[in-house]
Amino acid sequence: MKKILFKGFKIFNGTDFLESNEVLVENGKISKIGNDLDCNDAEIIDGFGKILSPGFVDLHAHFRDPGGEWNEDITSGAKAGAAGGFTTLVAMPNTKPAISEPSLVEYVLSHGKAAGASRILPSGCVSKNREGKEMAELLKMAEAGAVFFTDDGSPVATSALLRLALMYTGEDQPRIMEHPEDASLFKGGQVHEGRVSALSGLKGIPAASEEIDVARGIAIVREIGSRIHFTHLSSKNALERIRQAKKEGLNVTCDTTFHHLTLNENAVINSGYNSRYKVNPPLRSIEDQKSLWEGLQDGTIDAIVTDHAPWHLDEKDEPFEDAPFGIASLECAAAVLIDFKDKNYPDVPLELILKKMTSAPASLMPKKWQSLGRIEEGLLADITLIDMERTRVVDCSTWFSKARCCPWEGIALTGWPVMTFVEGKMIWQDDEDL
Amino acid sequence: MNAMPSEIGQIVWRHKNVIDVDCFTREELYFLLDQARHMENVMDRPIKKVPVLRGKMVVNLFFENSTRTRVSFELAEKMLSADVVNWSVQGSSQAKGETMRDTAWTLEAMGADIVVMRHGAVGAAQYLASKLKRAIILNAGDGTHAHPTQALLDLYTAWKHLGDLEGKKITFVGDVLHSRVARSDIIAFKTAGCEVVLSGPPTMMPNEVDALGCKYEKDPKKAVENADMVYLLRIQKERQMDGLFPSVDEYHRWWGADDELMKYAKPGALAMHPGPINRGVEIASTLADGHQSVILEQVRSGVAIRMALLYLCGGGVR
Repeated sequence: MKKILFKGFKIFNGTDFLESNEVLVENGKISKIGNDLDCNDAEIIDGFGKILSPGFVDLHAHFRDPGGEWNEDITSGAKAGAAGGFTTLVAMPNTKPAISEPSLVEYVLSHGKAAGASRILPSGCVSKNREGKEMAELLKMAEAGAVFFTDDGSPVATSALLRLALMYTGEDQPRIMEHPEDASLFKGGQVHEGRVSALSGLKGIPAASEEIDVARGIAIVREIGSRIHFTHLSSKNALERIRQAKKEGLNVTCDTTFHHLTLNENAVINSGYNSRYKVNPPLRSIEDQKSLWEGLQDGTIDAIVTDHAPWHLDEKDEPFEDAPFGIASLECAAAVLIDFKDKNYPDVPLELILKKMTSAPASLMPKKWQSLGRIEEGLLADITLIDMERTRVVDCSTWFSKARCCPWEGIALTGWPVMTFVEGKMIWQDDEDL
Repeated sequence: MNAMPSEIGQIVWRHKNVIDVDCFTREELYFLLDQARHMENVMDRPIKKVPVLRGKMVVNLFFENSTRTRVSFELAEKMLSADVVNWSVQGSSQAKGETMRDTAWTLEAMGADIVVMRHGAVGAAQYLASKLKRAIILNAGDGTHAHPTQALLDLYTAWKHLGDLEGKKITFVGDVLHSRVARSDIIAFKTAGCEVVLSGPPTMMPNEVDALGCKYEKDPKKAVENADMVYLLRIQKERQMDGLFPSVDEYHRWWGADDELMKYAKPGALAMHPGPINRGVEIASTLADGHQSVILEQVRSGVAIRMALLYLCGGGVR
């Protein structure tokens, strides 16, 4: 495999920016980091001050494959990820059929490899067929390559099943990723219970729905001493529960999404109830949104995920109440967050959000993958180049993803990934750049 | 009848689509009321027809059954000489297998100039407006969100009785949570300068009443104190099935309106209701049929205000 020498970059290693500005990649790995690296036979990529970051790691993406391929398949999803600067994507298992046995885990892995874009890592369901009744073959799925267990789309149906699964997996198996929601409070809900539900009459999903399920998971972990990861946190009070659990020393982690960090319920109202803002958990109050930024900064929130939930326009472009939940964002998520941070939270260091998109999420995966999201000698050369000066208008019609709408369509954002490498191989390049 | 609003005179009407009443300024609202008064005169003529919309095609696109609203629109359209087509879709568009945007484009291809739509989904009217290239859309109710012509006809009825509505108090009693009537009326009456108070079971109130800019008072007797208008909202009996209140009888006992409740309001206060009324549930028959009730006047106002809106948005001033 050819060598690549990255010169003139601001290098982010997954935690900090380095003094060095050159990285040499050989045989798909990072062989050297330094200055004035000497290498005659390498292809040279000159950064002119752009950022060289570990490729982004997304713990939560939906690809609708198998069973809903017109909305997205693993190939289109993997390419969309590459175009968004993501080098590793964890595929959610709520497909048709649901990924709840080893052969299906292998299906996701092999289709991901064939796509030749971002690395696709499967997750498996907690329960057989995602029915919430009995445990799926968790150990076999882990052996086949599943990196999380989740009934995402729904919470684990009963406290008893969650308790069993947490006991069974313990701290040596992939984490259980819980979709925090109380089924009876969620039922029929469309939007956040608050200003938006008051103004529209749409059925509200109270923030308590999330908090109750988080409290359930924490109570079980406290008692049995396992660990749990809560995904797509959206509300202040649920976050506070996690903050306290962490203080208590429990092995509890969580993530939030790009869209919950950058949007709130007012976006739904101001759009005249446009379905592109319909997502679960719903876009919540400004106060909730602010609390997520506090959670990022004080370490309560471990990772930022896309919860990329693609729908073909024919399905998504419906009146709000008739449309399915989900925001597709892989191809603009990084820019959305960088742009929002620069405008609204200029004092939050860029390192912090990049860390939550790289090394921090990787560290929540099984051992084999924990070194992803870092730029260190000897590690896999998963690299994303970021141009902080680049301004581009979000244009979903050009996406690799089959979802052709998102909340940021038509908006100019500054700070974009421009090139993506997996194991030293370039998998995507912005046409106009470098 | 009232000098004040007509003095505003001609204004430039900038509205094409009407999705909700929040698009109107106070001046525009009063201008509209004044126009409705002229239209109401047409209703009293021996030949109830003016050629304002002659040669225009209006489609009443109803995804939900609503005979009253549809007939009211249809009468208004016919009095303005429009060609009227009623397009009723039983069940949802999905059940029929056609998406709403295909329906919209079909209507335009057939040459519809104005589409009056009732749909069960919040945001449906806004959605349709975004898909129509040429035709005008008037929202005849989108789910629990908005019912602008109802709000305007209520405002018109109140204005005819009370004149300038600045500083007047209106109390809504009933199921605000699921009511598009309440949502649009609150905006309209607030824009007109009224104080708005809500009452009803807490389970049928939005959690964040503040977002609506109103006070909530659980006890209807307190809520109607000093009110110039008491507006009873229709109770849908299936809400009891949802468990939001234990029984119709208990609802009537606490929040049902009768002459006794009206004693707490201003003497001669108006009793209003969007219809159809549930006698013995949200309103006692003695009140519904009594001298304070303006319920049938509201129905008449509906035709006039819809004529005014059709005229302004679809034909006249522009």
